[in-house]
Amino acid sequence: MTKSAALHPAMMQNALEQNAMRMNLNHTQLLDQAQIALDHAKRAGASYADIRLGETHRQYIKAKDDRLENFDESALVGFGVRVLLEGCWGFYGAHQLDRANLETGVERALHNARATKIIQNQPIMLENLPAREATWIMPMAQDPFGISAEEKSALLLSICAAARDEGADFCSASLSLAREERLFANSLGARIAQTRTRIFPSFKAIAIDPERGQFSSRESLTPARSAGWEYILQAGLLEEARSAGKEARAKLNAKHLTPGIYDIVIDPTNLWLTIHETIGHSTELDRVLGWEANFAGTSFIKPQMLNNLQIGSELMTIIADRSQAGGLSTIGYDDDGAPAEAADFKIVEKGIFRNFQMALGQAHLIGLPQSNGCAYADSPTAFPIQRMPNISLAPNPNKCTLEDLFKDIENGIYIIGAGSWSIDQQRDNFQFGGQLFYEIKNGQLGDLLRDGAYQGRTTQFWRSLDGLGDSSTYHLDGTFTCGKAEPVQVAPVSHGSPPARFRNISVLNPCNER
Amino acid sequence: MFLSRDDAKDICDKLLARTRADACVIEIDGGEDHSLRFSRGSATTNTSATSLSLKISSHINGRIGSVTTTHLDDKTLEAAQRRSEEIARLLPADPEYVSPLGPQHYENSIRYHDAPKLLQLDALVSHAQQAIEQGQLMNVETYGCINGARRFDALATSNGLFSFERRSEIDLSVTARTQKDNWSGWAGAHEFFAPRLNSAQIALAACKKAAASAAPKDLEPGSYTVILEPDATAELAFWLMSAMDARAADEGRSFYARPGGGSRIGEQLFDEKLTIRVSPGDPLAPESSAGYEGVPHRSRDFIKNGVLRALYRSRAWAHKTNAEPVPFARNFIVEGGPTSLEEMIRATKRGVLITRLWYTNLLEPRALLLTGLTRDGNFLIENGRLTAPASNMRFNQSLGKLFAGIEALSPTQRTWRAVGAGASAAPALLVKDFVFSSQSSGI
Repeated sequence: MTKSAALHPAMMQNALEQNAMRMNLNHTQLLDQAQIALDHAKRAGASYADIRLGETHRQYIKAKDDRLENFDESALVGFGVRVLLEGCWGFYGAHQLDRANLETGVERALHNARATKIIQNQPIMLENLPAREATWIMPMAQDPFGISAEEKSALLLSICAAARDEGADFCSASLSLAREERLFANSLGARIAQTRTRIFPSFKAIAIDPERGQFSSRESLTPARSAGWEYILQAGLLEEARSAGKEARAKLNAKHLTPGIYDIVIDPTNLWLTIHETIGHSTELDRVLGWEANFAGTSFIKPQMLNNLQIGSELMTIIADRSQAGGLSTIGYDDDGAPAEAADFKIVEKGIFRNFQMALGQAHLIGLPQSNGCAYADSPTAFPIQRMPNISLAPNPNKCTLEDLFKDIENGIYIIGAGSWSIDQQRDNFQFGGQLFYEIKNGQLGDLLRDGAYQGRTTQFWRSLDGLGDSSTYHLDGTFTCGKAEPVQVAPVSHGSPPARFRNISVLNPCNER
Repeated sequence: MFLSRDDAKDICDKLLARTRADACVIEIDGGEDHSLRFSRGSATTNTSATSLSLKISSHINGRIGSVTTTHLDDKTLEAAQRRSEEIARLLPADPEYVSPLGPQHYENSIRYHDAPKLLQLDALVSHAQQAIEQGQLMNVETYGCINGARRFDALATSNGLFSFERRSEIDLSVTARTQKDNWSGWAGAHEFFAPRLNSAQIALAACKKAAASAAPKDLEPGSYTVILEPDATAELAFWLMSAMDARAADEGRSFYARPGGGSRIGEQLFDEKLTIRVSPGDPLAPESSAGYEGVPHRSRDFIKNGVLRALYRSRAWAHKTNAEPVPFARNFIVEGGPTSLEEMIRATKRGVLITRLWYTNLLEPRALLLTGLTRDGNFLIENGRLTAPASNMRFNQSLGKLFAGIEALSPTQRTWRAVGAGASAAPALLVKDFVFSSQSSGI
């Protein structure tokens, strides 16, 4: 407690001086303390141990109509130590970063490892990872935590006003900021310090028709990104809010969609979520192994399908990375200490399934030598599990615009923005809504439609991909909050894609489904 | 960090005494959490963690700034408090500002059993071992998670309110899958009193469902008579409850909005067999004593015999509409009926028995149109008997329609929730015309 008290006030003093709480962990001191804890674990017989320490600094600001509802700021500090003892994991996490607590943490982790031995029927086995000493800091122009509460509040209230000026009856807007500062050390000698910042502006405009008892909404399309305040300044939020206000109103009286089989063009603002659910999750090796069978689910993909399964058409190449600018999973090292280059691989190449996503201790179970940098813990006090790097659909190498994708569609639908989503536990049967549905008639974009959703099966859907925008149409989207595991952990992840055309897809009208 | 009432009150008093704001609210929560997962009969991940979160909300001229920290040393708290005041001063005035609550009378809610060792990893391992051994006995693979926790919540305001609650929780869920990986079963339970967790019963129920010998039958999409087991009923009721916001209804943007204006409170919206209530004192699924903003949870019917009786109402909206504030309920009870699950099956000529639901999400909020899938124990009923596993299906179903046409209810029982997610009790539910929209290969 004493050393914690010696660290934290410095951070808080800095906060007062700079008008916002800043992270200011003493890396050298903490990593030295971590080393002592790891040495203790080794002396106690652990064959491997690692430790994550750090702070997550957040702001959440929310406005509704003319009212600022919340301005919450938090700084959560903590550590988590993981030991492998006689083939059993043990883990312990807590908030106090002083030496005494770290050593107690090691003891508790060792105790947990011993306790689980009786049900460790398959010992945990690890590959060796390279032990790096490194520092990685996400570049950004303007620290969003340095922007005043006044400016952020004014922005959100302006967004609400802009949407309501243009036709919305109600609008809520929010801004989420997070900065992770993480230190990682392991018994192999790794010492890594990293900092990244992410930001998510969001709003929802609602129009009502009280007499008919009808209402419609249009949610923002501006994605979450790893970025500084400069991203907010160039995002065009007020302009988008004005459009959203008009579109929420227009949807109230828009034509109803006739359910049926359509050729559809999906905008990247919608397709990212389909990539996430159908490809991102189905290719997670921990699911395939059954480690998530009780909650998040398993997968329709099996180990023997590696390099054999035709998951999509030849236009489909899905790339994993931790280096894409703005990517929510972009970072120097994952939470197993694996370098970003390990996570630079193709999941699908020209329609053929090529790689699983793997965290430490999984690769050998399907006969592979090495994991590929796909671990994340949503807090230093959480056990790191397999999570997605950025996972994106590669654009068409040949020139192709959005309009080109419409050209030979006689009767189709263009879908913008993510809406309702649901997929089965093996990531096969899915159904996705959207924000805006437009007719495509004889190769041209047509009228706005009221509501819709498309339904399909993963491989059937991706095999029907027959048109893809080029790099000029590429857009990076994503989420702050992908949930997985028990207890649930939430992870940020980005998915980029161009617009894409799919043939003969089942589209339904939710209003008809009542 | 599991604080005592006295320790929590001392911290709150100290912070309230040194506020420079017009008013101040302190919220502290924390505790110990333990978790263990297993897969194919062997441990995978485990966690023990202590946590603490202290939030200071400073109210200045109708503006509120909030700062949360994980540390309790004086310098950290002082800096956090000053920062919350600084934020409040920079914000625009809130036109719907309400000052913090004063002292309240709370109903007693007993959700704590003082036996921390029963929640720790050694005890969790014993429960998991029972599940694994049951799977070995019945030749199915077992997967599962068990969580134990003891936590506290404290709330204090500069207007004289102080509330403090403790709760202990344990939950176990088990999925069993055949050796061929072509069928699955699930069961789970959640208890505030750890000795009540019957892991042998949970494991047996999951393994029995998975051990069905017949091959699963594919059913065509369409309308079916279905029997939802209590966990599935509770999930549907959760969505019904989640949409119960008074402001959304009053503003015309909710299923509970009346065309022409206002909410549908007082209207017969559902079958008269449907009653959903909240009660801090009911051991079946006790709600906490203090709700959001410190508003007391009272024993209350939200739906009584199919009539909408209440909606959640924030203090700000209650003030504006001159009504009583009603806190959001995380724990609820769907009242049951006299028909046993076995009687429901016997009374069904052709239908589907649903164990649990997966990935439910609103597709269309005006009609509370919900989508989702069946999972881990779907069975075809023919001529009053379970005749075969039935492949999983996606449904697109209006909850308004479903709860307006209840055929029968079983006695209500406690259902599974993960630790920290509240508690619910629900009956098995027999309904006709449940809409399956497509087939799923997911097992």
